[in-house]
Amino acid sequence: MGRIGEVQAPVATRDALARGRLRASLVPDLLVEARRIVNTVIAGWHGRRKRGIGENFWQFRPYVEGDSSRIDWRRSARDDHIYVRDREWEAAHTVWLWADPSPSMLYKSAGAAVSKESRALVLSLALAELLSRSGERIAWPGLADPFTARNGAERIAAQLSHAAALPAKPDLSAIRRFCDIVLVSDFLDPVEETTAWLDVLARHGVRAHLIEVADPAEETFPYAGRTEFTDPETGDKLTAGRAETLAEEYRLLYRARREELAAWCKRLGWSYTVNHTDRLASEALVGVHLAMTADGTNLGKAVA
Amino acid sequence: MSWLPLSFGAPVVLWGLLALPVIWWLLRLTPPRPQTEVFPPLRILARVLRREETPQQSPWWLTLLRLLMAALVVMALAEPVFNPREKLPAEGAALALVIDNGWASAADWSKRVATAERLIADAGSNGVPVVIAFTAEKSNAEIGPFDASAALDHLRAAKPRPVPTDRPAVYARVAAALERLPGASVAVLADGLAAKGDDAAFKTLLEKNATRLVWATSDRPSVTGLIGADNQVDGFALTAIRAPGDPAPAQVTAGAFDDKGRRIADATLTFAPGEATATATMAVPFELRNDFASIALDGEHQAGAVRVLDESSKRRRVGLLSQAEADQAQPLLSPLYYIRRALQPFADLVEPSSADLADAIPQLLDQKPAMIVMADVGTIPQQVKQRLVDWVDKGGTLVRFAGPRLAAAGNDDDLLPVRLRSGERALGGALSWTTPQAVTEFPKNGPFADLSPPSEVTVSRQVLAEPTPDIVERTWATLADGTPLVTGMKKDKGTLVLFHVTPEATWSNLPISGSFVEMLRRVVQLSRNQGAAIANAEATAASLAPYRMIGADGMLTPPSPDARPLVPGSGPLPVTLENPPGLYGSETGVFAHNLLNASSTFAPLARPQVSLPVTAIPYAFDESENLKGPLVAIALLLMVLDTLAVFWMGGLLTRRPRRNAAAAAAAVLVVLGGLVGHADLARADDSKPGDAQAIEDISKTRMAYVITGEPGVDSISRAGLEGLTRFLIEKTALEPGPPAGVDIAKDELSFFPLIYWPIDASAPMPSQAAIARIDAYMQQGGTVLFDTRDQFSNGIGAGSASPATERLRDILGNLNVPPLEPVPSDHVLTKSFFILPEFPGRFNGSPLWVEASLDASNTENRPVRTGDGVSPIMITANDFAGAWAVDENGDPMLPTVPPDPMQRVYALRAGVNIMMYMLTGNYKSDQVHVPVLLERLGQ
Repeated sequence: MGRIGEVQAPVATRDALARGRLRASLVPDLLVEARRIVNTVIAGWHGRRKRGIGENFWQFRPYVEGDSSRIDWRRSARDDHIYVRDREWEAAHTVWLWADPSPSMLYKSAGAAVSKESRALVLSLALAELLSRSGERIAWPGLADPFTARNGAERIAAQLSHAAALPAKPDLSAIRRFCDIVLVSDFLDPVEETTAWLDVLARHGVRAHLIEVADPAEETFPYAGRTEFTDPETGDKLTAGRAETLAEEYRLLYRARREELAAWCKRLGWSYTVNHTDRLASEALVGVHLAMTADGTNLGKAVA
Repeated sequence: MSWLPLSFGAPVVLWGLLALPVIWWLLRLTPPRPQTEVFPPLRILARVLRREETPQQSPWWLTLLRLLMAALVVMALAEPVFNPREKLPAEGAALALVIDNGWASAADWSKRVATAERLIADAGSNGVPVVIAFTAEKSNAEIGPFDASAALDHLRAAKPRPVPTDRPAVYARVAAALERLPGASVAVLADGLAAKGDDAAFKTLLEKNATRLVWATSDRPSVTGLIGADNQVDGFALTAIRAPGDPAPAQVTAGAFDDKGRRIADATLTFAPGEATATATMAVPFELRNDFASIALDGEHQAGAVRVLDESSKRRRVGLLSQAEADQAQPLLSPLYYIRRALQPFADLVEPSSADLADAIPQLLDQKPAMIVMADVGTIPQQVKQRLVDWVDKGGTLVRFAGPRLAAAGNDDDLLPVRLRSGERALGGALSWTTPQAVTEFPKNGPFADLSPPSEVTVSRQVLAEPTPDIVERTWATLADGTPLVTGMKKDKGTLVLFHVTPEATWSNLPISGSFVEMLRRVVQLSRNQGAAIANAEATAASLAPYRMIGADGMLTPPSPDARPLVPGSGPLPVTLENPPGLYGSETGVFAHNLLNASSTFAPLARPQVSLPVTAIPYAFDESENLKGPLVAIALLLMVLDTLAVFWMGGLLTRRPRRNAAAAAAAVLVVLGGLVGHADLARADDSKPGDAQAIEDISKTRMAYVITGEPGVDSISRAGLEGLTRFLIEKTALEPGPPAGVDIAKDELSFFPLIYWPIDASAPMPSQAAIARIDAYMQQGGTVLFDTRDQFSNGIGAGSASPATERLRDILGNLNVPPLEPVPSDHVLTKSFFILPEFPGRFNGSPLWVEASLDASNTENRPVRTGDGVSPIMITANDFAGAWAVDENGDPMLPTVPPDPMQRVYALRAGVNIMMYMLTGNYKSDQVHVPVLLERLGQ
């Protein structure tokens, strides 16, 4: 029996970018509209038509007792009233993107079209393209701070291709409130480790969208006979005398992990999307798009 | 591997051990190499796999086990032999085996055979012919050459013989046989004892045609032989020899056996270091010594350690001579009376038939006696005197007693130890100052030295010896005044003894003292029989048939067909195969023919100095052991272990531990139950129907009545026995249970001491079987009380009988009824509790019939006659039960006839007496002795 899974070479970022653009073109502009954050999230360059923190003037309004805003003395000097100058809130919505760079993502089984890493990069770059097109600020933890550019995906792809070594689990504590983060990974670590890592996001009030990229072989466990399994990350080896006897139990555990993680996300109001590498990446993209644009009622719904 | 006595038949196979590393490598590779797969969710898989992780390779101990198994198989295939025997170099055109099978080879014959078998086996593997000869076989025995298997047959057929070896003759035959087989190896399996002519024999054997000598012998002959067994004065002297030069001390035990083979005495012979001879004395009483038939050394299973004994070492024959004629009338005055009484226990007495000395002395001498006692014989006829003197010179012992005749006869230098003064000396007579003399201490040089002197003996008259220079050393006993009482001298080989007193109690009281016996006995022990006396005079010259032979193993056996009669002649008789050692003759007289004589020695056989190459081999069993089987067995065992280990590792033994444990526990329980519960089941299973009733019947004493089937009769019987029971409880210590009704056809009767049987003519006649049961009940100690209840309903006339009586007669006709009588007035029944003159029931007047105590007597007018036993039957017509019957309130149910309250009381008392009689038997009749006993105690 031929080998089922193999480790692919890391995908060329440029190639991923092209594919990401292709995917992104299939998805409408990612205008994040969430009623939940209606007062806090304003898309990119379009004014929010609201007073708030921003660069541009919005209005003068009479000072009322207890107003903490600064009094605009220049305008107040012109008549008998005291005015406060409001600015138009120009804070764009920041979306952090992250694709798991760990070696385990390089895995591609015989039944899959691409490796998990390839799929993850494509997804994240497609999102970057989408968000950039709609003027959102995008960022990549540990690689790129939030920025707004029409060619955001390209910039990220360039930076990724030049990055020397990316940490397997970047520090997420810099991500502030009201941001979104899209995490593309296989989430094969134990649920406790994953939740411990992502707990900081929950504490900061970040809305996260988890995309699990899964290889079909990981899910169905098609192995049989005497098989030696190797962990691509740690190099650990396990030999199963009759692998087929393990399949059922393994599948239970595998699904249990996914369901536990999905339940945790749902509790926090996050979304959890599963994308198999033998399926189209667009499915996940649409799912995440829905999740990001959805209101609070259908948030965190796991899309298969 | 010189440190280990191990060799391999096929050492090339041991190179197979080199394959062990390969096997190790192979074992490490199995199980097959797995399919390697990259698998990112390994940590999840690890959680699944952790519980049943298959090790990547077999554990080291399993590998070691398998390697050991392989090594064992390789070693087994190499045919290892433990304690391998040396193979003799394959040389020579033939093998000549000369084996000593004389008496000295018997002890370790099997070792010699094993050694010879090896030699023959080697010869067989070399394919050379074998000449095999035994040195103690008949001179015409076949010696070969044989092939190896035939030689083995000859070897196994050979036995050790109880005779010395004859090397010269046999070696000459072997040498002759070897002339046709030049260049043979000669193997000499010697017994280690040198014999005459050895050098020449070896020379003959080895000079020509022999190319090699294989010399098998033990370093030193280990045999011990018994060369002497002499009946001495104070015991049986034994002499044993062993091979000279043994530096170690040794001890052997000799046992003496009688003619039935019973061991009757022991002695221990100790060889001092370096000594070849050991002596010991078997100190046993004289009488016992005469029963010795053979003497054997313990633990020496060969003929040389056994000596058979014939008459010559046994009882002495003693001839008695006297010249007194009128002896028979006054035996106590007979001169031979005390001598005969003293000697009879330990000597054969021979008395001549003729009173004439000229006839009597030759008669005695023909019997070859050890000793002749002459009681007061004066002059000895000249024609026989020379014979007597010759007899003494050849070792006879002549004991003479003094007396008037001897005193008158004058001196006789030849047959008296001292010169005598004529006449006798009287001590303590009326005209003498002297008093009767006592005996002093026995002189130290005499044979009586260790006897205690008889202080009570006094001598009042004696014959006196002339004082001569040697009188002191010839004196064996003296009187207080120094005059000799007993004198003796050696004369050539014989002994002359003179008692200076008469052999009867006239001159002294010595003959009636114990010392007389002791002294005579001592003298007898000094004597020697002068040759074997053969009962049949003609047979003396004839040959003696073999009687009991000494086997090669030292046991006495019946003669073999080879044994020929022995012709005793002068000079030592050779021990040959025709005349093996043993007893010759018949039961009446035997001649001992022993293997060793007093001059035998065990000289070790030296290896002949020859120019041939010599291989010395020891005698040994073949101790080589083929280890192939054990090694294969161990390998198989390891294979089983390996299989079990694989099962265990595969989880077969642990996969379902609970089920297994449960099954094992169940099995153990079943087995235990089978072991333990079996007895319980068996015990619990012996209940029978009716047990409860039986237990109830025997847990209390109960009276029984026979259920007749007539309700009225039965209820009265029950009520009557109830009434009697109440009365018994009230008056006596007996508390019976409620009465029981029995069906004599079915119920067990033996539980009841008394069965009350009211005879009713209207009731059905009991069956024969039921009557037989009643009969058995009566025979076994029960008593039946028949009650016809017809005292006043008898018919008219002497011969008439009521229907009930007729029925009783019918019943009794089938029973073994003892003779009956009415209770006599002194019967125990009348005294057993109440004193009763009569036994009334509801009626009065009928006697109570009991078994007649015919042999009982009452001689002393006692109140109760004696006699044993309890009457098995009682018959009355007084209707006891009717008188006893009470209702629930205790009121009588039926009136008495005549209506007398006292009659009811008497009836109840009669019942009590009957019951007590049943339970205590004749105890009361014994109690009548109590006053007498008390009276005696009072004194």
